[in-house]
Amino acid sequence: MSKLLIVDDEIDIREFARNYFKKRGIQVFTASGGSEALDILKEERPDLILLDVRMEEMTGVEFLQKMRGEGDPTKVIMVSGIEDEETINQARSLGIIGFIHKPLVLEELQKIVMKELKQGA
Amino acid sequence: MGSFAAVDFVPNYGFDLYPMGFLFMIAFTGMTFYSVIKYRLMNVSLVITRTSIFVAVYSLILGIPYAFAIGCQEWLRMHFGELWWLSPMVLLTVMATAGPFIYLAIQRRAEEKLFQDQRRYQSTLRQASTGMGRIKDMDKLLDMIVRVVTRSVRIEHSFIYLSDRKSKEYKLEASRFRNERTDVPQTIASDSRVLKALKKIRAPIVFSEVQQRAQDFKDLKLQELEEQMSALHAELIVPCFIDEKLIAVMVMGKKVSGELYSQDDLAVFMILSNQAGLAIENAQFYKDMRATHEQLFRAEKMATIGIMADGLSHQINNRLHALGFIAGDALDTIQLNKKLKMTDEVKEMMVDIEHALTRIQENVSQGGEVVRGLLKYSRKSDEQFGEVELDELIDEAVTMAQFKIKTGEMSIVRDFEPGLPKIHGNFTQLQEVFFNMIDNAYDAMMQRKSDLKEEGYEPRITIKAERSRMGSMRIVLEDNGIGIRAEDQEKIFTPFFTTKLSSKKGTGLGLYVIQKLIEENHKGKVFYKSEYGKGTRVYITLPTVEGLDQDMIQSVERQA
Repeated sequence: MSKLLIVDDEIDIREFARNYFKKRGIQVFTASGGSEALDILKEERPDLILLDVRMEEMTGVEFLQKMRGEGDPTKVIMVSGIEDEETINQARSLGIIGFIHKPLVLEELQKIVMKELKQGA
Repeated sequence: MGSFAAVDFVPNYGFDLYPMGFLFMIAFTGMTFYSVIKYRLMNVSLVITRTSIFVAVYSLILGIPYAFAIGCQEWLRMHFGELWWLSPMVLLTVMATAGPFIYLAIQRRAEEKLFQDQRRYQSTLRQASTGMGRIKDMDKLLDMIVRVVTRSVRIEHSFIYLSDRKSKEYKLEASRFRNERTDVPQTIASDSRVLKALKKIRAPIVFSEVQQRAQDFKDLKLQELEEQMSALHAELIVPCFIDEKLIAVMVMGKKVSGELYSQDDLAVFMILSNQAGLAIENAQFYKDMRATHEQLFRAEKMATIGIMADGLSHQINNRLHALGFIAGDALDTIQLNKKLKMTDEVKEMMVDIEHALTRIQENVSQGGEVVRGLLKYSRKSDEQFGEVELDELIDEAVTMAQFKIKTGEMSIVRDFEPGLPKIHGNFTQLQEVFFNMIDNAYDAMMQRKSDLKEEGYEPRITIKAERSRMGSMRIVLEDNGIGIRAEDQEKIFTPFFTTKLSSKKGTGLGLYVIQKLIEENHKGKVFYKSEYGKGTRVYITLPTVEGLDQDMIQSVERQA
């Protein structure tokens, strides 16, 4: 079973995204912040991470720096609002699959996620 | 005067000119009187009044003792003998001493009577002068001046012309008529004789004097001045100076009584005009300050919106994002469970809910577009600047517009010469600018078509362009659409302001974005002129590649 980690400080996103992907036979883990996510990352070794850029405790880019710093190569898709070029370039240099922009229709997110998980499997 | 009077002494030097010496005297006196009356060297009615009082008072002072002496001589001789003349003499002395006091008292009374009206309005004007400085509203101030002058001086009419900073003309700003209105020129040309004369003499000009002198001296300039004053229906023109600048001209008609303006009047009018000048400058300053304040306020609002837009849009985006997920997941649940057994009623209900959720998702996407549109240009664009050709730009913008509007319903005329310099800009952003303007023009023209239903109306956009200064190009985009209502003109560059009906889905961001792209990103200029029911003209100035070297030199110089 594929494992997906959703890192977002919005409870609604975590809840509904988990529901949605569970229905497709994916094991979903959620974290409301960076440090929680780092723990899950070590314990569960997910195949893909959906990472929000703007979070209170630790920004998406900071989280990415930490995990790459620990040598974790897990695939990451960044979910962003409207970010400036600098953030995008920084994230790209840390190795991500891509950026997707909010607001996003679930169906489209699903296509991208499924494609990545299939490749990984 | 003394030299004229000296002719009286001619016979004393042995020249017996009799009766010529005497005639010289008569001629001299006559000339003096003539000039006094004609050029109003003195206030004639005042002179006459004073003279009459003087004559009357002194005839009595001297006459009574004499009459007493002659009439009562017999009676006095009987009582006082040889010293009978002593008592008339005493009487004469007493009366002569009292004379000046009597004279002054009578004179004061008479003058009060004579100048009652004049004194009254002069004091009214003085009072008005002091109150003027407190009026900040220009229209109210000018209106008050003409009203007070017309009413208190009792003249046929009065007008005020103000100097126009742009055209250098003087424009009619306030007028007041006692009886019927007459046609008054709306402006006084900057090179007119009236203005030249006022600037030269810096004092009031009286029409009847000008008329008289023009006749006497046959002077063409004076005749021209006379004609211009008569066109202005001016009996009196008073200038208003602030420092060296003639800021206003007060034009006054004839007095209703038919009297001429006296020197006293002119002096009062000069005080009034000085005060009015200060008050006008005050009001002008206040008006300018308010405009600047409004501008600052707008700029500040923009800046605040810019800062807020960033934070707000993330918030809104997150809400929209969550909303999309919620709707999407619910929609997904329905779609996955369609094959479950359910009654027809439940099935029908599911279809309705599915439809509702789909609509929510669509609205989320549209909301996202609005936020993105706002934020796209509030950030500094890193996109490349390069050479942009106007023709190509218009082609691309029209192509873009075809997806949204029916470009076949209007004609787009390109009215510019080939060989214009290339624009220095970002193609995508400028394409957005032109697309937006064509889109707006189209909407305005369709609005006119449906609102005014004119026969033979042909929607047309004309695009003109020319090199303006070194290194920049002026582009004018003109449409014959419905135009912008006067009350909306202030607001059209404000974000989220839209006049378009909600069915047409104006986001209210089009012109805001255009302004940002042109003025901030391209360092150009955009403004417009519009008349409701006629059309709109948008003026855009953009830098050309020709100006680049120039800019570089300047920035190097600035750094050095």
